[in-house]
Amino acid sequence: MNSMTLQCLVCVMCLVVLQAQAEEAPDVRQPLRFEGYPGAPEFEVVPRKDELFFYPCAQCHETMEPNPEIRTLNTMHDAEIEHGRGRIWCLSCHNLENRNYLNTLLNELVDFDEAHLVCGGCHANRHKDWYFGAHGKRVASWQGDRTLYNCTHCHNAHSPAIQPRAPKPAPPVRAGLERQPGIQHEKSAVWDTHVEREEQ
Amino acid sequence: MSNETGSGNDGDKFDQARRNFLRGIGMGTAAAVAQPAWGGQTFQDTFADFFQKDYRRMSAEEIEAALERIERKAQARYDVEIECQNTPPQPGVVYGYAINISRCKGYRDCVHACVKENNLGRDSQMQYIRVLELDQGDFNLEHSDHYYEPETVPVEGKHYLPVQCMQCDDPPCVKACPVEATWMEPDGIVVVDYDWCIGCRYCMAACPYWARHFNWTVPEIPAEEMNTNTHYLGNRPRPRGVVEKCHFCIHRTRKGQQPACMEACPTGSRIFGNLLDPDSEIRYVLANKQVFRLKEDLGTEPKFWYYSD
Repeated sequence: MNSMTLQCLVCVMCLVVLQAQAEEAPDVRQPLRFEGYPGAPEFEVVPRKDELFFYPCAQCHETMEPNPEIRTLNTMHDAEIEHGRGRIWCLSCHNLENRNYLNTLLNELVDFDEAHLVCGGCHANRHKDWYFGAHGKRVASWQGDRTLYNCTHCHNAHSPAIQPRAPKPAPPVRAGLERQPGIQHEKSAVWDTHVEREEQ
Repeated sequence: MSNETGSGNDGDKFDQARRNFLRGIGMGTAAAVAQPAWGGQTFQDTFADFFQKDYRRMSAEEIEAALERIERKAQARYDVEIECQNTPPQPGVVYGYAINISRCKGYRDCVHACVKENNLGRDSQMQYIRVLELDQGDFNLEHSDHYYEPETVPVEGKHYLPVQCMQCDDPPCVKACPVEATWMEPDGIVVVDYDWCIGCRYCMAACPYWARHFNWTVPEIPAEEMNTNTHYLGNRPRPRGVVEKCHFCIHRTRKGQQPACMEACPTGSRIFGNLLDPDSEIRYVLANKQVFRLKEDLGTEPKFWYYSD
Protein backbone atom coordinates (compact mmCIF):
# COMPACT_ATOMS: atom_id res chain seq x y z
CA MET A 1 0.00 0.00 0.00
CA ASN A 2 2.75 2.27 1.02
CA SER A 3 4.75 1.49 -2.09
CA MET A 4 1.64 2.05 -4.20
CA THR A 5 1.30 5.54 -2.81
CA LEU A 6 4.95 6.16 -3.48
CA GLN A 7 4.61 4.93 -7.05
CA CYS A 8 1.59 7.14 -7.57
CA LEU A 9 3.50 10.07 -6.19
CA VAL A 10 6.45 9.38 -8.50
CA CYS A 11 4.07 9.08 -11.43
CA VAL A 12 2.40 12.36 -10.65
CA MET A 13 5.75 14.04 -10.23
CA CYS A 14 6.89 12.65 -13.53
CA LEU A 15 3.79 13.91 -15.22
CA VAL A 16 4.30 17.35 -13.73
CA VAL A 17 7.90 17.36 -14.94
CA LEU A 18 6.88 16.15 -18.39
CA GLN A 19 4.17 18.76 -18.59
CA ALA A 20 6.63 21.46 -17.60
CA GLN A 21 9.01 20.21 -20.29
CA ALA A 22 6.20 20.17 -22.82
CA GLU A 23 5.43 23.77 -22.02
CA GLU A 24 9.08 24.82 -22.30
CA ALA A 25 9.74 22.73 -25.41
CA PRO A 26 10.47 24.85 -28.48
CA ASP A 27 8.19 24.79 -31.46
CA VAL A 28 9.06 21.58 -33.29
CA ARG A 29 8.38 23.31 -36.57
CA GLN A 30 11.41 25.56 -36.03
CA PRO A 31 14.91 24.42 -37.10
CA LEU A 32 16.29 22.34 -34.25
CA ARG A 33 19.03 23.61 -31.99
CA PHE A 34 20.82 20.59 -30.56
CA GLU A 35 22.80 21.20 -27.38
CA GLY A 36 25.36 18.51 -28.11
CA TYR A 37 27.02 15.95 -25.87
CA PRO A 38 28.26 17.28 -22.53
CA GLY A 39 31.99 17.95 -22.48
CA ALA A 40 32.45 17.88 -26.25
CA PRO A 41 34.68 20.66 -27.58
CA GLU A 42 32.94 23.25 -29.74
CA PHE A 43 33.06 23.02 -33.52
CA GLU A 44 31.62 24.32 -36.75
CA VAL A 45 30.37 22.20 -39.62
CA VAL A 46 31.46 22.85 -43.18
CA PRO A 47 28.29 24.01 -44.98
CA ARG A 48 27.05 21.75 -47.73
CA LYS A 49 23.86 23.25 -49.12
CA ASP A 50 25.76 24.97 -51.96
CA GLU A 51 26.93 21.59 -53.21
CA LEU A 52 23.44 20.09 -53.37
CA PHE A 53 22.28 19.93 -56.96
CA PHE A 54 18.49 20.15 -56.39
CA TYR A 55 18.51 22.45 -53.35
CA PRO A 56 16.26 24.32 -52.51
CA CYS A 57 13.95 21.33 -52.90
CA ALA A 58 10.79 23.40 -52.48
CA GLN A 59 11.43 24.92 -55.92
CA CYS A 60 9.77 21.88 -57.44
CA HIS A 61 7.94 20.39 -54.47
CA GLU A 62 5.82 23.44 -53.66
CA THR A 63 3.87 22.82 -56.83
CA MET A 64 3.36 19.14 -55.99
CA GLU A 65 0.82 17.57 -53.70
CA PRO A 66 2.54 15.98 -50.62
CA ASN A 67 2.12 12.22 -50.83
CA PRO A 68 2.96 10.35 -47.60
CA GLU A 69 2.29 6.91 -49.10
CA ILE A 70 5.32 4.60 -48.92
CA ARG A 71 6.33 3.76 -52.50
CA THR A 72 9.31 3.41 -54.82
CA LEU A 73 10.15 6.67 -56.55
CA ASN A 74 10.61 6.45 -60.28
CA THR A 75 11.41 10.11 -60.89
CA MET A 76 14.73 11.91 -60.86
CA HIS A 77 15.59 10.79 -57.32
CA ASP A 78 17.50 7.64 -56.33
CA ALA A 79 14.99 4.82 -56.68
CA GLU A 80 17.04 2.39 -54.56
CA ILE A 81 17.94 3.30 -51.00
CA GLU A 82 20.79 1.08 -49.81
CA HIS A 83 20.40 2.23 -46.26
CA GLY A 84 18.54 0.74 -43.32
CA ARG A 85 17.85 -2.61 -45.05
CA GLY A 86 14.35 -1.66 -46.14
CA ARG A 87 13.28 -0.22 -42.83
CA ILE A 88 13.44 3.42 -43.86
CA TRP A 89 12.30 5.37 -46.86
CA CYS A 90 12.41 9.02 -48.04
CA LEU A 91 10.16 10.54 -45.38
CA SER A 92 12.11 8.90 -42.54
CA CYS A 93 14.69 11.65 -43.04
CA HIS A 94 13.02 14.22 -45.34
CA ASN A 95 10.20 16.41 -44.11
CA LEU A 96 6.89 15.97 -45.91
CA GLU A 97 5.59 19.53 -45.68
CA ASN A 98 8.74 21.66 -45.62
CA ARG A 99 10.95 20.13 -48.28
CA ASN A 100 13.90 22.43 -47.56
CA TYR A 101 14.48 20.67 -44.26
CA LEU A 102 15.31 17.23 -43.01
CA ASN A 103 13.35 15.42 -40.37
CA THR A 104 14.43 13.67 -37.18
CA LEU A 105 12.63 10.65 -35.73
CA LEU A 106 10.96 13.08 -33.33
CA ASN A 107 9.61 15.02 -36.30
CA GLU A 108 11.91 17.99 -35.70
CA LEU A 109 13.08 20.11 -38.61
CA VAL A 110 16.83 19.99 -39.33
CA ASP A 111 18.75 22.19 -41.75
CA PHE A 112 20.63 20.36 -44.54
CA ASP A 113 23.87 21.83 -43.18
CA GLU A 114 23.27 20.01 -39.91
CA ALA A 115 22.41 16.63 -41.37
CA HIS A 116 24.45 14.93 -38.63
CA LEU A 117 21.53 15.48 -36.26
CA VAL A 118 19.41 13.22 -38.43
CA CYS A 119 22.12 10.56 -38.73
CA GLY A 120 22.70 10.69 -34.97
CA GLY A 121 19.09 9.69 -34.37
CA CYS A 122 20.02 6.08 -35.19
CA HIS A 123 23.82 6.06 -35.15
CA ALA A 124 24.20 7.55 -31.69
CA ASN A 125 27.59 5.99 -30.88
CA ARG A 126 29.14 7.21 -34.13
CA HIS A 127 27.54 10.60 -33.62
CA LYS A 128 29.11 10.92 -30.20
CA ASP A 129 32.50 9.82 -31.55
CA TRP A 130 32.14 12.41 -34.28
CA TYR A 131 31.42 15.12 -31.71
CA PHE A 132 34.54 14.25 -29.73
CA GLY A 133 36.74 13.70 -32.79
CA ALA A 134 37.22 9.92 -32.89
CA HIS A 135 35.13 9.60 -36.08
CA GLY A 136 34.82 11.98 -39.01
CA LYS A 137 37.32 14.40 -40.46
CA ARG A 138 38.59 17.69 -39.12
CA VAL A 139 39.52 20.35 -41.66
CA ALA A 140 42.73 22.42 -41.96
CA SER A 141 44.08 22.67 -38.41
CA TRP A 142 44.73 20.46 -35.40
CA GLN A 143 44.78 23.50 -33.12
CA GLY A 144 42.30 26.28 -32.46
CA ASP A 145 38.86 26.43 -34.06
CA ARG A 146 37.44 23.01 -34.94
CA THR A 147 35.84 22.72 -38.35
CA LEU A 148 34.38 19.32 -39.17
CA TYR A 149 33.04 17.71 -42.28
CA ASN A 150 29.42 16.66 -42.03
CA CYS A 151 28.47 12.96 -42.22
CA THR A 152 27.11 13.49 -45.72
CA HIS A 153 30.43 14.88 -47.03
CA CYS A 154 31.89 11.37 -46.99
CA HIS A 155 28.81 9.12 -46.86
CA ASN A 156 26.09 9.26 -49.49
CA ALA A 157 23.02 9.34 -47.27
CA HIS A 158 21.14 7.09 -49.70
CA SER A 159 24.00 4.53 -49.91
CA PRO A 160 26.32 5.21 -47.00
CA ALA A 161 28.82 2.37 -47.42
CA ILE A 162 32.15 3.67 -48.80
CA GLN A 163 32.71 2.19 -52.25
CA PRO A 164 36.07 0.53 -53.08
CA ARG A 165 38.36 2.45 -55.41
CA ALA A 166 41.80 2.09 -56.96
CA PRO A 167 44.80 2.74 -54.68
CA LYS A 168 47.58 5.18 -55.56
CA PRO A 169 50.68 3.57 -57.13
CA ALA A 170 52.75 1.19 -55.00
CA PRO A 171 56.31 2.09 -54.00
CA PRO A 172 59.05 0.74 -56.27
CA VAL A 173 60.37 -2.59 -55.08
CA ARG A 174 63.81 -2.03 -53.65
CA ALA A 175 66.67 -3.70 -55.44
CA GLY A 176 67.29 -7.13 -53.93
CA LEU A 177 63.86 -7.36 -52.35
CA GLU A 178 62.03 -8.80 -55.37
CA ARG A 179 59.89 -11.82 -54.62
CA GLN A 180 61.73 -14.96 -55.66
CA PRO A 181 59.63 -17.64 -57.37
CA GLY A 182 59.24 -20.86 -55.42
CA ILE A 183 59.88 -19.30 -52.02
CA GLN A 184 56.97 -18.95 -49.65
CA HIS A 185 57.77 -15.86 -47.63
CA GLU A 186 54.46 -15.98 -45.84
CA LYS A 187 55.21 -19.24 -44.09
CA SER A 188 58.10 -20.11 -41.88
CA ALA A 189 59.89 -22.46 -44.27
CA VAL A 190 62.32 -23.66 -41.60
CA TRP A 191 59.54 -24.77 -39.30
CA ASP A 192 57.62 -26.50 -42.10
CA THR A 193 60.63 -28.55 -43.20
CA HIS A 194 61.27 -29.45 -39.59
CA VAL A 195 57.71 -30.71 -39.21
CA GLU A 196 57.97 -32.66 -42.47
CA ARG A 197 61.17 -34.36 -41.30
CA GLU A 198 59.58 -35.25 -37.98
CA GLU A 199 56.63 -36.81 -39.78
CA GLN A 200 58.89 -38.93 -42.00
CA MET B 1 119.62 48.94 -59.43
CA SER B 2 117.74 47.24 -62.14
CA ASN B 3 119.99 48.89 -64.80
CA GLU B 4 123.18 47.42 -63.36
CA THR B 5 122.91 43.84 -64.62
CA GLY B 6 120.87 41.75 -67.01
CA SER B 7 119.61 39.69 -64.17
CA GLY B 8 117.97 42.86 -62.90
CA ASN B 9 115.84 42.95 -66.05
CA ASP B 10 114.87 39.33 -65.42
CA GLY B 11 113.88 40.26 -61.88
CA ASP B 12 111.69 43.03 -63.29
CA LYS B 13 109.96 40.55 -65.59
CA PHE B 14 109.53 38.17 -62.71
CA ASP B 15 108.06 40.95 -60.55
CA GLN B 16 105.65 41.81 -63.34
CA ALA B 17 104.62 38.18 -63.76
CA ARG B 18 104.15 37.79 -60.05
CA ARG B 19 102.09 40.95 -59.93
CA ASN B 20 99.87 39.73 -62.75
CA PHE B 21 99.50 36.35 -61.08
CA LEU B 22 98.56 37.89 -57.76
CA ARG B 23 96.16 40.29 -59.42
CA GLY B 24 94.59 37.33 -61.21
CA ILE B 25 94.08 35.43 -57.95
CA GLY B 26 92.66 38.52 -56.28
CA MET B 27 90.19 39.13 -59.09
CA GLY B 28 89.28 35.47 -59.22
CA THR B 29 88.52 35.42 -55.50
CA ALA B 30 86.52 38.63 -55.80
CA ALA B 31 84.52 37.10 -58.64
CA ALA B 32 83.92 33.94 -56.61
CA VAL B 33 82.69 35.97 -53.66
CA ALA B 34 80.48 38.17 -55.81
CA GLN B 35 78.67 35.57 -57.91
CA PRO B 36 78.08 31.81 -58.01
CA ALA B 37 81.14 29.98 -59.29
CA TRP B 38 81.16 26.18 -59.09
CA GLY B 39 77.94 24.22 -58.55
CA GLY B 40 75.92 27.40 -58.32
CA GLN B 41 77.38 27.99 -54.87
CA THR B 42 79.51 30.92 -53.79
CA PHE B 43 82.89 30.39 -52.21
CA GLN B 44 81.57 32.03 -49.04
CA ASP B 45 78.63 29.61 -48.79
CA THR B 46 80.81 26.57 -49.35
CA PHE B 47 83.23 27.81 -46.71
CA ALA B 48 80.42 28.56 -44.22
CA ASP B 49 78.75 25.18 -44.90
CA PHE B 50 81.99 23.40 -44.13
CA PHE B 51 82.32 25.09 -40.76
CA GLN B 52 78.59 24.97 -39.88
CA LYS B 53 77.99 23.69 -36.36
CA ASP B 54 75.45 21.23 -34.99
CA TYR B 55 71.98 22.83 -35.02
CA ARG B 56 71.71 22.83 -31.24
CA ARG B 57 75.05 24.63 -30.81
CA MET B 58 74.41 27.41 -33.31
CA SER B 59 73.58 30.92 -32.15
CA ALA B 60 70.47 32.66 -33.46
CA GLU B 61 72.54 34.62 -36.01
CA GLU B 62 74.33 31.49 -37.19
CA ILE B 63 70.98 29.71 -37.68
CA GLU B 64 69.65 32.70 -39.59
CA ALA B 65 72.72 32.64 -41.84
CA ALA B 66 72.34 28.87 -42.35
CA LEU B 67 68.67 29.31 -43.34
CA GLU B 68 69.66 31.94 -45.91
CA ARG B 69 72.35 29.64 -47.31
CA ILE B 70 69.76 26.84 -47.65
CA GLU B 71 67.46 29.18 -49.55
CA ARG B 72 70.30 30.27 -51.86
CA LYS B 73 71.35 26.66 -52.50
CA ALA B 74 67.76 25.65 -53.33
CA GLN B 75 67.57 28.57 -55.75
CA ALA B 76 70.74 27.35 -57.44
CA ARG B 77 69.81 23.66 -57.49
CA TYR B 78 66.07 23.77 -58.27
CA ASP B 79 65.61 27.35 -59.50
CA VAL B 80 62.85 27.82 -56.93
CA GLU B 81 62.56 30.51 -54.29
CA ILE B 82 61.88 28.57 -51.08
CA GLU B 83 61.29 29.86 -47.58
CA CYS B 84 63.25 27.94 -44.97
CA GLN B 85 62.05 28.57 -41.45
CA ASN B 86 63.06 27.71 -37.95
CA THR B 87 59.66 27.72 -36.20
CA PRO B 88 60.30 26.87 -32.53
CA PRO B 89 58.23 24.28 -30.63
CA GLN B 90 55.04 25.52 -28.99
CA PRO B 91 55.17 25.49 -25.20
CA GLY B 92 52.91 22.95 -23.50
CA VAL B 93 52.53 20.81 -26.61
CA VAL B 94 53.57 17.19 -27.14
CA TYR B 95 52.29 15.68 -30.37
CA GLY B 96 50.54 12.36 -30.60
CA TYR B 97 49.03 10.46 -33.49
CA ALA B 98 46.31 7.84 -33.68
CA ILE B 99 45.07 5.84 -36.67
CA ASN B 100 41.71 4.11 -36.87
CA ILE B 101 42.65 0.91 -38.67
CA SER B 102 39.05 -0.18 -39.08
CA ARG B 103 38.54 2.84 -41.34
CA CYS B 104 41.84 2.81 -43.25
CA LYS B 105 41.09 1.41 -46.71
CA GLY B 106 44.64 1.34 -48.06
CA TYR B 107 44.19 4.07 -50.69
CA ARG B 108 47.78 5.32 -50.16
CA ASP B 109 46.68 8.97 -50.49
CA CYS B 110 48.74 9.74 -47.38
CA VAL B 111 51.89 8.26 -48.91
CA HIS B 112 51.75 10.44 -52.00
CA ALA B 113 50.73 13.58 -50.11
CA CYS B 114 53.79 13.01 -47.92
CA VAL B 115 56.12 12.62 -50.91
CA LYS B 116 54.87 15.92 -52.32
CA GLU B 117 54.87 17.81 -49.03
CA ASN B 118 58.34 16.73 -47.94
CA ASN B 119 60.12 17.26 -51.26
CA LEU B 120 61.02 13.60 -51.57
CA GLY B 121 62.67 12.62 -54.85
CA ARG B 122 60.12 11.39 -57.39
CA ASP B 123 62.55 8.83 -58.77
CA SER B 124 64.05 7.65 -55.50
CA GLN B 125 62.74 4.60 -53.66
CA MET B 126 62.12 6.53 -50.48
CA GLN B 127 58.71 7.09 -48.93
CA TYR B 128 58.21 7.99 -45.27
CA ILE B 129 54.87 6.14 -44.96
CA ARG B 130 54.27 2.49 -45.77
CA VAL B 131 50.75 1.08 -45.81
CA LEU B 132 50.95 -2.58 -44.86
CA GLU B 133 48.37 -5.04 -46.14
CA LEU B 134 47.62 -7.93 -43.78
CA ASP B 135 45.14 -10.79 -43.68
CA GLN B 136 42.22 -10.10 -41.41
CA GLY B 137 42.95 -11.35 -37.93
CA ASP B 138 46.69 -11.41 -38.60
CA PHE B 139 49.01 -8.93 -36.92
CA ASN B 140 52.33 -10.57 -37.75
CA LEU B 141 54.15 -7.74 -39.52
CA GLU B 142 56.42 -10.30 -41.22
CA HIS B 143 53.37 -11.44 -43.21
CA SER B 144 52.60 -7.92 -44.36
CA ASP B 145 52.92 -6.63 -47.90
CA HIS B 146 53.27 -2.96 -48.74
CA TYR B 147 53.70 -3.46 -52.49
CA TYR B 148 50.05 -4.50 -52.94
CA GLU B 149 48.48 -3.34 -56.19
CA PRO B 150 44.94 -4.69 -56.67
CA GLU B 151 42.34 -3.09 -58.96
CA THR B 152 40.43 -1.67 -56.04
CA VAL B 153 40.97 -1.50 -52.28
CA PRO B 154 39.94 -2.58 -49.71
CA VAL B 155 40.38 -6.22 -50.77
CA GLU B 156 37.99 -8.68 -49.18
CA GLY B 157 39.63 -10.38 -46.20
CA LYS B 158 42.50 -7.88 -45.86
CA HIS B 159 43.16 -5.00 -43.52
CA TYR B 160 45.56 -2.10 -43.80
CA LEU B 161 48.07 -0.72 -41.33
CA PRO B 162 49.92 2.52 -42.18
CA VAL B 163 53.38 2.66 -40.60
CA GLN B 164 55.64 5.69 -40.34
CA CYS B 165 57.97 7.17 -37.73
CA MET B 166 56.38 6.51 -34.33
CA GLN B 167 58.18 9.49 -32.70
CA CYS B 168 59.15 7.26 -29.78
CA ASP B 169 59.47 8.90 -26.39
CA ASP B 170 62.54 6.77 -25.71
CA PRO B 171 63.93 6.64 -29.23
CA PRO B 172 66.54 3.95 -29.90
CA CYS B 173 67.68 5.75 -33.06
CA VAL B 174 68.80 8.76 -31.01
CA LYS B 175 70.86 6.54 -28.73
CA ALA B 176 72.51 4.87 -31.72
CA CYS B 177 73.68 8.07 -33.43
CA PRO B 178 77.44 8.46 -32.90
CA VAL B 179 77.51 12.18 -33.75
CA GLU B 180 74.27 13.36 -32.08
CA ALA B 181 72.79 14.44 -35.37
CA THR B 182 69.32 13.30 -34.27
CA TRP B 183 67.44 14.13 -31.11
CA MET B 184 63.96 14.62 -29.66
CA GLU B 185 62.60 18.16 -29.66
CA PRO B 186 60.63 19.49 -26.63
CA ASP B 187 57.35 18.88 -28.50
CA GLY B 188 58.20 15.20 -28.89
CA ILE B 189 59.27 15.16 -32.55
CA VAL B 190 62.45 13.24 -33.28
CA VAL B 191 64.38 15.32 -35.82
CA VAL B 192 67.56 15.02 -37.88
CA ASP B 193 70.12 17.74 -38.59
CA TYR B 194 70.83 16.71 -42.18
CA ASP B 195 74.00 18.81 -42.30
CA TRP B 196 75.43 17.10 -39.23
CA CYS B 197 74.43 13.53 -40.23
CA ILE B 198 77.40 11.48 -41.46
CA GLY B 199 75.20 8.84 -43.12
CA CYS B 200 76.49 5.89 -41.07
CA ARG B 201 72.92 4.44 -40.89
CA TYR B 202 73.29 3.11 -37.34
CA CYS B 203 69.92 4.72 -36.54
CA MET B 204 68.29 2.73 -39.33
CA ALA B 205 69.58 -0.47 -37.77
CA ALA B 206 68.38 0.65 -34.34
CA CYS B 207 64.83 1.56 -35.44
CA PRO B 208 62.43 -1.36 -34.91
CA TYR B 209 59.80 0.17 -37.22
CA TRP B 210 61.81 0.55 -40.46
CA ALA B 211 60.92 4.23 -40.26
CA ARG B 212 64.29 5.73 -41.19
CA HIS B 213 65.39 5.88 -44.79
CA PHE B 214 68.73 6.53 -46.44
CA ASN B 215 68.92 9.19 -49.08
CA TRP B 216 70.84 7.48 -51.89
CA THR B 217 70.37 10.21 -54.48
CA VAL B 218 69.89 13.94 -54.69
CA PRO B 219 66.07 14.27 -54.86
CA GLU B 220 64.75 14.89 -58.40
CA ILE B 221 61.77 17.21 -58.11
CA PRO B 222 60.10 19.21 -60.90
CA ALA B 223 60.45 22.92 -60.05
CA GLU B 224 56.67 23.52 -60.12
CA GLU B 225 56.03 20.68 -57.65
CA MET B 226 58.60 21.91 -55.12
CA ASN B 227 57.08 22.73 -51.74
CA THR B 228 58.44 26.15 -50.83
CA ASN B 229 57.27 26.07 -47.21
CA THR B 230 60.18 24.35 -45.47
CA HIS B 231 61.78 23.95 -42.07
CA TYR B 232 65.43 23.46 -41.14
CA LEU B 233 64.67 20.23 -39.23
CA GLY B 234 61.98 19.08 -41.63
CA ASN B 235 61.43 19.14 -45.36
CA ARG B 236 64.15 21.49 -46.60
CA PRO B 237 66.10 20.28 -49.63
CA ARG B 238 68.48 17.68 -48.28
CA PRO B 239 71.95 16.62 -49.34
CA ARG B 240 72.59 13.14 -50.68
CA GLY B 241 73.81 10.44 -48.31
CA VAL B 242 71.92 11.31 -45.11
CA VAL B 243 69.17 9.58 -43.18
CA GLU B 244 65.65 11.01 -43.31
CA LYS B 245 62.32 10.19 -41.75
CA CYS B 246 58.83 11.44 -40.96
CA HIS B 247 58.90 14.52 -38.74
CA PHE B 248 55.13 14.95 -38.24
CA CYS B 249 55.31 17.76 -40.84
CA ILE B 250 57.16 19.99 -38.38
CA HIS B 251 56.83 23.01 -40.71
CA ARG B 252 53.02 22.70 -40.62
CA THR B 253 52.16 21.32 -37.19
CA ARG B 254 54.17 23.89 -35.26
CA LYS B 255 51.99 26.53 -36.93
CA GLY B 256 48.75 24.71 -36.03
CA GLN B 257 48.15 23.06 -39.41
CA GLN B 258 47.53 19.34 -39.81
CA PRO B 259 50.25 17.00 -41.06
CA ALA B 260 49.95 16.45 -44.82
CA CYS B 261 49.05 12.75 -44.41
CA MET B 262 46.15 13.61 -42.13
CA GLU B 263 44.90 16.32 -44.45
CA ALA B 264 45.08 13.96 -47.43
CA CYS B 265 43.36 10.99 -45.76
CA PRO B 266 39.96 10.66 -47.48
CA THR B 267 38.55 8.45 -44.73
CA GLY B 268 39.50 10.61 -41.75
CA SER B 269 41.27 7.68 -40.11
CA ARG B 270 44.11 9.86 -38.88
CA ILE B 271 43.84 11.79 -35.62
CA PHE B 272 46.55 14.20 -34.55
CA GLY B 273 46.78 16.50 -31.57
CA ASN B 274 48.32 17.65 -28.34
CA LEU B 275 48.76 14.88 -25.78
CA LEU B 276 48.97 17.44 -22.95
CA ASP B 277 45.55 18.98 -23.74
CA PRO B 278 42.86 16.94 -21.92
CA ASP B 279 40.15 18.23 -24.32
CA SER B 280 41.98 17.23 -27.48
CA GLU B 281 40.67 14.62 -29.89
CA ILE B 282 43.69 12.40 -29.43
CA ARG B 283 43.12 12.30 -25.68
CA TYR B 284 39.47 11.30 -26.25
CA VAL B 285 40.63 8.44 -28.46
CA LEU B 286 43.22 7.28 -25.93
CA ALA B 287 40.68 7.39 -23.11
CA ASN B 288 37.67 5.87 -24.90
CA LYS B 289 38.96 3.47 -27.55
CA GLN B 290 40.86 0.22 -27.48
CA VAL B 291 44.28 1.48 -28.53
CA PHE B 292 47.53 -0.37 -29.07
CA ARG B 293 51.02 0.48 -30.21
CA LEU B 294 53.32 -1.50 -32.46
CA LYS B 295 56.04 -3.56 -30.76
CA GLU B 296 55.09 -2.09 -27.40
CA ASP B 297 57.18 -4.72 -25.62
CA LEU B 298 60.38 -3.07 -26.86
CA GLY B 299 59.78 -0.18 -24.46
CA THR B 300 60.40 2.55 -27.02
CA GLU B 301 57.19 4.35 -25.95
CA PRO B 302 55.87 5.33 -29.39
CA LYS B 303 53.61 8.38 -29.49
CA PHE B 304 51.65 6.69 -32.26
CA TRP B 305 48.58 4.61 -31.49
CA TYR B 306 46.25 2.39 -33.50
CA TYR B 307 42.65 1.67 -32.68
CA SER B 308 39.61 0.07 -34.23
CA ASP B 309 35.92 0.52 -33.56
